[in-house]
Amino acid sequence: MKSTSFHKLTPKAIRVWQWSNAVGNLFFLAIPVVYASVFGMSGFHFWVVLSAICLFIIFWVISIILIPYKSWKNWRYAIDEKEIELKRGIIFKTRTLIPLSRVQHVDTRQGPLLRWYNLASVTISTAATTHEIPALDAVIADRVRREISTFARLAEEDV
Amino acid sequence: MYEFQRQHPVAAISSAFGLIRGNFVTILVFLFVGARSENFPFLWWIAAGFIFLLVMGFATWWRFLYRIEDGELHIKRGIFVRKNLYLTKDRIQVIDITSGVVQRLFGLVKVDIQTAGASSREAAIEAVTLEKAREISEMLRPGGNGEPEENSIEQTAGAQENIKSFKLPGKELIIAASTSGSFGIALSVLATLFSQIEPVISESELFEYAMNLLPSQTDIFAVVSIIILFVVFAWLISFFSTLLAYGDFLLEVNDEELIISRGIFEKKKITVPFNRIQAIHIAEGLIRQPLGYASLHLESAGYGDDKGTGSIVLFPLIQRNNIMDLLDNVMPDYEKQLEGVRPPAKSLRRYIFRSAFLITAITAAIWWLLDLNEWIWLFPLLSFFWGWLKYKDAALGWVKDGLLLRSRILSKTTAYIRRNRIQDITLSESWFQRIRNLCSVRVYVASGDQGKSFSVRDLDKEDGYRLLRAIKEPGLWKDENLNDRRGSAIIALPGWPQPQAAN
Repeated sequence: MKSTSFHKLTPKAIRVWQWSNAVGNLFFLAIPVVYASVFGMSGFHFWVVLSAICLFIIFWVISIILIPYKSWKNWRYAIDEKEIELKRGIIFKTRTLIPLSRVQHVDTRQGPLLRWYNLASVTISTAATTHEIPALDAVIADRVRREISTFARLAEEDV
Repeated sequence: MYEFQRQHPVAAISSAFGLIRGNFVTILVFLFVGARSENFPFLWWIAAGFIFLLVMGFATWWRFLYRIEDGELHIKRGIFVRKNLYLTKDRIQVIDITSGVVQRLFGLVKVDIQTAGASSREAAIEAVTLEKAREISEMLRPGGNGEPEENSIEQTAGAQENIKSFKLPGKELIIAASTSGSFGIALSVLATLFSQIEPVISESELFEYAMNLLPSQTDIFAVVSIIILFVVFAWLISFFSTLLAYGDFLLEVNDEELIISRGIFEKKKITVPFNRIQAIHIAEGLIRQPLGYASLHLESAGYGDDKGTGSIVLFPLIQRNNIMDLLDNVMPDYEKQLEGVRPPAKSLRRYIFRSAFLITAITAAIWWLLDLNEWIWLFPLLSFFWGWLKYKDAALGWVKDGLLLRSRILSKTTAYIRRNRIQDITLSESWFQRIRNLCSVRVYVASGDQGKSFSVRDLDKEDGYRLLRAIKEPGLWKDENLNDRRGSAIIALPGWPQPQAAN
């Protein structure tokens, strides 16, 4: 069996995810805040709010310290003439195989956060699903995009 | 056909009706809210709404132009924003000729042209004469070269020789209707309707009157009787809607395509070229399976129905013994018996746990809170059985050019997917699966906007990786001798003469 070489994402991905989790997960702080504003802070409700805030802080810290690192560590992608393979996940480990002949289009995307770190993500669409390789070096992302579209054209088949 | 032309003016009315149907729930809520407030100039609003809809419909019709040129359908539409849609013959997945109630009144049809893209949703010609619809579909069919007259006649003549048709007998239609799966949908629609109507009814004296009529001792009795009423009503709705939708069913197969026509009031005629079929699946429902019946479905990359999935009913109900005969005509070159694997014995407990966990918990809670009869514990027992059924039916098989995935949620689904139709394939392991060396397989095929996936859970991890390797290197498909392994099996399609013998 032929071995395909798997690549990792850039380590800068960890930073990106740390920032996006730090900001994005602040949203969950709304749960105890709304609870407090509806029921007040007296007696029993104080303890509910307190424990919800504690839970939130634990979750928030984990989502900043542990999760970005773990998911970077588990992310792998491989591209060859026939297929794209993606491996990812912390609790749910998944492994996806996309035949290149089924790739409809490939895009690179760059949000403000990714641009700050000079990164980009590659989005691969088939007729049924869309997959993303998040956080690659902008140069590498562009190379990956070109590589996929070249291979995809070679493997061209109708839907 | 080379000049731009308008649709039949009836399109104005039918697109107005389309708007009503599209916003049906909103309108209904609006009506009920309006009916309850007295100082609201209610009727005026309704009248204004209808006039608005008619004007919109007229404008839509006026601004809709289409023509066919070089095997390409060009549609110009849009009231304010003009859209130009170009649909190439080669990209057309399905041509769907329907006639709703409005169209039938005037002897017209609606032509739906579906490509794999979601934008083709807008490429529906609302109302044209039947001859024109035939002409359009003739010019846009994959074999045709876009020339209207002489070629099309030749083609139909050629195709007629090999045409095979399958009808749905009346008895089977009745069985299909009474065991139809749309029962649940009807129930949920009823429930939403009831939640809208309920405030109106409970205020009125009608409800009190009904309550007095019933020999009601307890609240629970009232609740149960209302539930039973609901269930019967939902069943009737699903019975008749299936009867109307699948009455007059006819499946025609010729050399290149399938033509499915169905419907009593709203006629539908769907044309699917063979090379556009993405997958075929056979569903054996909980009630239908013991009776020996199944339904056949196919996935196409066009959008199919209103829900955006590309599922098309290939045959609403068929006896298990006749499946092979039908499929032989639809997909002649496929294998009916495949080498494959079933989940190992160690995943049985996961199947049972997954099915029973929630139901047991809920039952315990209800039993404890409401102090109900012990009979309610029948539900968890049934859920154990359900889990075992799911385990028993899960299987994955492969041959040189195809994959077979069999699993059960409520009905047992056997999907046959050709290798070159697989859009992607995903292996996943949860934390618990990893401990037990198991994995789940999910395969996506193109269908409608989102695609459709078939999955088998809790297979041996080895088998999952073997499948991935087999997909990567087609040469390996038959090389490994599966029969030596534990857990391997021969997986056959339902209706294969000796499915049990090999297991």
